[in-house]
Amino acid sequence: MRILRSDIYENLKMALATLRANKLRSFLTVFGVVIGIITVMLIASIISGIDVSVTREVESFGTRSIYISKFSPGIQIGRRSREERMRKELTYDDAIALQSLPAIELSVPFLDITNNPFGQKLMVSGGGKTSAQVALQGTLPEFEKAGTQVISEGRFFTQTENDTNQLVCVVGSKVADDFFKIGSPLAQTIKIGPQEFRVVGVLEQREQFLIGGGSDDQNNVIYVPFNVAQKLKPNADDIYILAVARAGLMEEAKDQVRDTLRVRRQVPFAANDNFGMETSESILDNFRSITAGLAIAMVVISSVGLMVGGIGVMNIMLVSVTERTREIGVRKAIGARRADIMWQFLIEAATLTGLGGVVGLSIGWGLTLLLRLLLPSYVPLWAPIGGLLASVGIGLVFGLWPAWKAARLDPIESLRYE
Amino acid sequence: MSDATVTLSPTENVINAPATEVDGHDPSMLISMRDIWKTYQMGTEKVHALHGVSFDIPRGEYIAIIGPSGSGKSTLMNLIGCLDTPTQGQYWLNGKNVSEMDDDELARIRNQEVGFVFQTFNLLARATALHNVELPLIYGGVSASQRHEMAKQALTAVDLTDRMSHKPNELSGGQRQRVAIARALVNHPSILLADEPTGALDSHTSAEIMDLFERLHSEGNTIIVVTHEHDIAERAHRVISIRDGMIEKDERIR
Repeated sequence: MRILRSDIYENLKMALATLRANKLRSFLTVFGVVIGIITVMLIASIISGIDVSVTREVESFGTRSIYISKFSPGIQIGRRSREERMRKELTYDDAIALQSLPAIELSVPFLDITNNPFGQKLMVSGGGKTSAQVALQGTLPEFEKAGTQVISEGRFFTQTENDTNQLVCVVGSKVADDFFKIGSPLAQTIKIGPQEFRVVGVLEQREQFLIGGGSDDQNNVIYVPFNVAQKLKPNADDIYILAVARAGLMEEAKDQVRDTLRVRRQVPFAANDNFGMETSESILDNFRSITAGLAIAMVVISSVGLMVGGIGVMNIMLVSVTERTREIGVRKAIGARRADIMWQFLIEAATLTGLGGVVGLSIGWGLTLLLRLLLPSYVPLWAPIGGLLASVGIGLVFGLWPAWKAARLDPIESLRYE
Repeated sequence: MSDATVTLSPTENVINAPATEVDGHDPSMLISMRDIWKTYQMGTEKVHALHGVSFDIPRGEYIAIIGPSGSGKSTLMNLIGCLDTPTQGQYWLNGKNVSEMDDDELARIRNQEVGFVFQTFNLLARATALHNVELPLIYGGVSASQRHEMAKQALTAVDLTDRMSHKPNELSGGQRQRVAIARALVNHPSILLADEPTGALDSHTSAEIMDLFERLHSEGNTIIVVTHEHDIAERAHRVISIRDGMIEKDERIR
């Protein structure tokens, strides 16, 4: 079969001329393809935007951080198993034990006194405002060295203040804004439960995404000395531990933490861990398995759109073949072979959908620029390339049958066609 | 091996064949049709559109095929133009037996050997005169620059030098038919095959077109005009009359 480059070029010119002659019809025909491509572009950029945001946020918790808690991370569906419900709490001593591991730079415990299953919430009040939405955490001064929270004003509390049960606290940026509207919160007091605390430091605002408001707000937090927290809510036992690995020793650190905790928590050989460990990497893995699902959903949704578009293209190409029966007859009479006619219509269909793809890409591109006002989104390179290939491919696939019909037409009957 | 081979020269072959026949046809003729049958199946009935037609056309002849509708002249024209193959019989065009060719081979023969002129011109409406004339060259695989040159020459030959970039709807009927003739001639085919070329034209324009055919003939082209009009047929040098699928008369009139 002879397919010269000039043939494809000639066919392309002919196809463009035909499409120009039927502008409205061409546009309506490829509308489905346009929508399909816009969908691909938008969802790709939304997913990429969420990915960037989440990665940024998760990494701000520290790429060397290991969060250890009683339960495994991830979304809990349904009731926890009996084994899980029977798990004992992590302890202050666990945190101290991890501190001495060679691959661990520092290890601090957190006692969450915001809430517990039986106790009441501790109210926080100051500057005429009262709220039960503030996260209250008891921790040790070493926390500052983990580098996940940065002091913007004042200082962190000291070991001495912890040891001597001083009523001091470090507040998150949202707490500072909400409770101390006038002047610096430093040296002012805030009431937690029944007691007044002196503010010694204010944290820098953290960037956050998706998780906003209430006690989930990373900035709506107050840190108090660990010992004070225990006194404030004696029955609180909700402890988690932040361990920071030494540079380059993340894997070793995870192994050492696991081994130590298995011994301390008396996990039988070959049994599963009875605690959970989470790193920024594992959080991202979890998250990416969700976005992968989204990406598959995107492919399905947009391929339905493209499919509908393709059927429209097939329909219009069949009409076009019928309308141009006589032209096909003439072309055959002057020497066009079946393959020539076939290519003519295939290229016409592919040009039609390809142009639809280009229109879709331009509109989609515009929309993703708008989206950028909301999300740090970008369009991954595969989206426009894949979109364009898909749109041209649709033309070729759905143009196949009309083109074949055209190629098979009998020249004598076609010339007689009115 | 070569010693044992006995090659028959054309002259030796002639001994066993009548006069100038080789392989059952006359190689000096441009067109040789031998006992051509075309049969259509209409339901349960077989309809013979052509019953054993035979004739020869030498190079450079100007010939008219005439006959009433239903006589089989359209069928004969389709066969001559290689748009169709006979049910039975042999057809040699320019030394090639085209009666047993497949679709793509026929397309190639039509492209190289036959120039069609239709009653209704059949130009591409959206293409310029020049592009219409270039079309057979595109299918012949001629390069773009050469194509341009050849198409311009063909349009010049039919006196349309100043209408090359016009589209068919900007041209008069006679001009359109001249574009169609240029398209038919651009590949320098063996035959120019015209089907009722003046059927859609007024008498004045018809005369112009017929004058053009005469001129093209005098320049050495072989022209076959299929018509039912006697005054058109009379412009030719030889007239073949078809009736009921057979040659009724085959006479030289000038």
